[in-house]
Amino acid sequence: MVDPSLNERGNRLDRLQLCALAGLMFLGAAFVYSATKNQSAWLPWYDQMWIRQVVWYVMGIGAGAAVCILDYHRLARWSLVIYWGTILCLVVVLIPKIGSTNGWGARRWIDLPLFQFQPSEFAKLAFIIAMANFLSRPAEELKQRAVFWKAIGLILLPFFLILKEPDLGSALVLVPTGVVMMFVAGTPKRYLLKLGAGVGIAAVLALADILFAPRALQLPMQDYQRQRLLVYFGASFADANATPEQRAEARRLQFARSYQVTQAIIAVGSGGLLGKGWGQGSQTVLGFLPAGAAHNDFIFSVIAEEEGFVGSFLVLTLYAVVFFTGLRIAGQARDRLGKLMAAGVVTLLFSHVFINIGMNIRIVPVTGIPLPLLSYGGSSVMCSLIALGLMQNVYIHRKGY
Amino acid sequence: MLIVDELKKNDPQLRLVAATIAVGLMLLLAGLWWVQVVSGRKYQSHSETQSIRTVRVPAARGKILDCDGRVLAENRARFNLSLYLSDLSGQFQKEYDRLRPVKWVAHTQPWNFWSRSQSAAMRHVPLSQVQVDALTWQARYDVADAVVADIAEKLGQPLTLDFKTFQRAYESRLYVPYPILQDLDETQIARFEEHFSGGAANLDVQPARFYPYGDTAGHLLGYVTEDDSSLEGEDAYFSYRLPDYRGRVGIEGGFDVELHGHAGVEAVLVNNYGYRQSVNMLEPAEPGENVVLTIDLDIQQAAEAALTNHQGADARAAIVVMNVRTGDVLAMVSSPPINPVFSANSPEYLADPTLQPQINRATFGSFAPGSIFKPVVGLAALERGLNPNEYYEVQPDPEQPWHGCIYVGRRRIGDTVPPGEYNFRRAIEQSSNSYFIFNGLRTGITNIVKLAEKFHFGEKTGLPTEQETGGIFPSLRQVEGRDWRDGDSANICFGQGQMAVTPIQMAVAYSAIANGGKILRPRLVDRIDPQDPAAGETATNFPSGIVRDEIGVSQRSLRILREAMLSETEDPQGSGYPAFHQPGSILNLRVCGKTGTAQVENERNEIIGHNYWFASFAPYENPKYAVVVMVQSQSGGSGGSVCAPIAHDIYAEILKRESFRTLPPTVAMAKLSKNG
Repeated sequence: MVDPSLNERGNRLDRLQLCALAGLMFLGAAFVYSATKNQSAWLPWYDQMWIRQVVWYVMGIGAGAAVCILDYHRLARWSLVIYWGTILCLVVVLIPKIGSTNGWGARRWIDLPLFQFQPSEFAKLAFIIAMANFLSRPAEELKQRAVFWKAIGLILLPFFLILKEPDLGSALVLVPTGVVMMFVAGTPKRYLLKLGAGVGIAAVLALADILFAPRALQLPMQDYQRQRLLVYFGASFADANATPEQRAEARRLQFARSYQVTQAIIAVGSGGLLGKGWGQGSQTVLGFLPAGAAHNDFIFSVIAEEEGFVGSFLVLTLYAVVFFTGLRIAGQARDRLGKLMAAGVVTLLFSHVFINIGMNIRIVPVTGIPLPLLSYGGSSVMCSLIALGLMQNVYIHRKGY
Repeated sequence: MLIVDELKKNDPQLRLVAATIAVGLMLLLAGLWWVQVVSGRKYQSHSETQSIRTVRVPAARGKILDCDGRVLAENRARFNLSLYLSDLSGQFQKEYDRLRPVKWVAHTQPWNFWSRSQSAAMRHVPLSQVQVDALTWQARYDVADAVVADIAEKLGQPLTLDFKTFQRAYESRLYVPYPILQDLDETQIARFEEHFSGGAANLDVQPARFYPYGDTAGHLLGYVTEDDSSLEGEDAYFSYRLPDYRGRVGIEGGFDVELHGHAGVEAVLVNNYGYRQSVNMLEPAEPGENVVLTIDLDIQQAAEAALTNHQGADARAAIVVMNVRTGDVLAMVSSPPINPVFSANSPEYLADPTLQPQINRATFGSFAPGSIFKPVVGLAALERGLNPNEYYEVQPDPEQPWHGCIYVGRRRIGDTVPPGEYNFRRAIEQSSNSYFIFNGLRTGITNIVKLAEKFHFGEKTGLPTEQETGGIFPSLRQVEGRDWRDGDSANICFGQGQMAVTPIQMAVAYSAIANGGKILRPRLVDRIDPQDPAAGETATNFPSGIVRDEIGVSQRSLRILREAMLSETEDPQGSGYPAFHQPGSILNLRVCGKTGTAQVENERNEIIGHNYWFASFAPYENPKYAVVVMVQSQSGGSGGSVCAPIAHDIYAEILKRESFRTLPPTVAMAKLSKNG
């Protein structure tokens, strides 16, 4: 491995990070293939999921490279336009005739002639750019109350719009990303403590409401989301005064709702130390891991089942390389704008990784959130690669260049 | 770490972020370690239980063969028609999609006017979970029902698919084929093969027990019933058990462990719907062994035919043919017959209180022996010094002066023979009760019982068929007790009263008289052979001629008795003479025999029927075969007229058999000396 600190001047790009990304994309293609080979074996090659995934990788790399052409400062000048543009998209997607549900419960997609796109994914990106631009003002200004509240507003506007779709996972990752960016920017401690306390209290209240409140007082929330949380906390679906029939129905539903996560943890656990071998995961092959989710939100289960703890370790290592090189890029950034951008991208990706893998082993409740670069999905892959391109952009224009 | 060191110089915020990320990653790693390495086994077994079903595959049951290797019981393929539901899963989905209600919805996306979208689109009507379930079942049933209806039409046999049964099978046993029609005949198989090959419907081969000779030796063979429970040493838990059989009585029952073999285990990998994905033999079935009997099919069939010819198919009777030197049972008949395919017997027939066809009368029925017990009494008397040439005067019966009688105390016991002078030979050949009561009482009941104990009356002969009784015989303590009267002893002397014997016991007893006094263990099974001779397993041989006891009687007494028994069939006054001297009979064999007629009384001492007997052995010069025939009847007759002709026919068949094998010259010699 090249020691970056010694060869700094010779490197236009952070090669270590690029190697890790290449590794992740290789794994992504390989395991999207493994997860979908049963259901799509008879499709023509250009409809095979893994081929499509590779196409998305190529397009994502292209987009990421395009982002690198412009200096990130020039990009930041457009940040408000980008931000409000995506906010507009987030509003538009909520309009029933325009936003598509893709047959699922949530209205997340906008149909374009050739493909569908998920504005919430791009909103994350736009949010990072706008937030970085906003917080890159002189440190003195961050002490002003108005600036703090404006920053909070920047977070909450897309947060609530995405929550409305509803896409709880995507909305939630905005919070740590925004908070970390504020912290890195140098927002005074007293504000951050207040913010932390506020978020904590809100989370506890929301949870208590979901788990214990009678139906009339419950937050407006999709049933399946509530049920996912109930499953995670092991609470019964039935009301306290339910009839036996309702209880039986609730139990049936509980079983159905916990099926996915149960099968996921069986898949991960049965992989053992060395795994069952690529394409040999019985949970995947026999369809116990639901075919609709194995290649996207539960791709990690497939990897963990087929490659075991060794495979899980490899995935975590590759992500660790991306995160820490990302933080180094933040440290080496020419200015606070670049530093904030890099820190935001790292936090966003880390939040995805933590929630997604954590959900596979029941550390966190199920929230439909993709694993960056590994999960199948165009918008997610494109966004991740554009975000990483942004990071490389910061690296290219680092101190001394 | 290099990166973190570098960050330290720069700023504390980034360092904290890096530390948080590191902690988060370590948390995930620890969680993965816990799930995958520490609890890996638990999840592996979870994964296996939900994806592996074990199926018990029965072993091929061994054959039962006669002494010449002719097959008495074997397995025949039975063809069943089954539906492989997993092959229909695609059609289930298609049918579901077809059944699912749709509606047309106007398509008004404002900017889509340039794309190829239509003005209206077909959309599925949203359904509740209950509706979806109902529709799914409807689709599955429709598809399966259509296949069944098609098969029914092509086979020309009405078939219906019961929804409830189908649903249950679908929910619990998707990985095994769903049965539609059992036991197809040849035409149906041909039609099926013509119309359906490679579809979801398939012919399954299932072994069924088959008895090529029908009822022949039905009681001896016993029967099997469907029973798929695990034997000792087999796995106890199975998701599914293919049909298997266990022997109940007879050879099937007594040698069930050997015939049955060891069931194999098949693992079926199923997917999340429960459809079979692949099949893996975990443990192959070990076929059962063949049981080779001592029974000679020709003699067995001849005995059955002789019985049917003389007494009809419904006769309540038993026949035992035994080799007197080895104890090998050559034929064992019990009538009325039973079909070894147990289900082929009608329940009314099986439950008939008079016929009682389920009882193997040769071994499991005990009957008063009547006069055929007299040779035992005679032997005891001869051993106690009876002079066989001494005459005993039989008194005339005052009520029937042409019949004899004897007084025991104040009780008068009638005799079938006319009054007159009787010596041992005459008393045997004409079967005088008075002679044997007089001489039996003179000998003493104790001596008779001691000899009978050597014959092992009242005890089982030790057959492996699980259908045997020891009969009844008084013990020494009983006859020496205060309740025992001379009248009881007198009854024993002519084979009545407190005794009952099985035909197999009499065959053993007469064999002993014939072979010089050896009580042999009757042998039914010659050996147990491995089903596959190539497997290299060795056969288990059962030794013949096992001597259980010696009766300890002098050869002189036995010779006197045998001569007397010979005159029973050769002296024109002998009660067995007519059967062996019918016009046209040319039996080249000198037969020693004894007829018997025992009265069967009900609890009010009324005579309700008779047991007719003919017990015999031959040839006289060098005895080899013992034949015991017993017929229960309500109509009149005698052992000589009812049973002896049956024995005659059996001996005729034995002679025919012998002439095929190398015939020893003794028989020819005997014929010459007979007239001399």
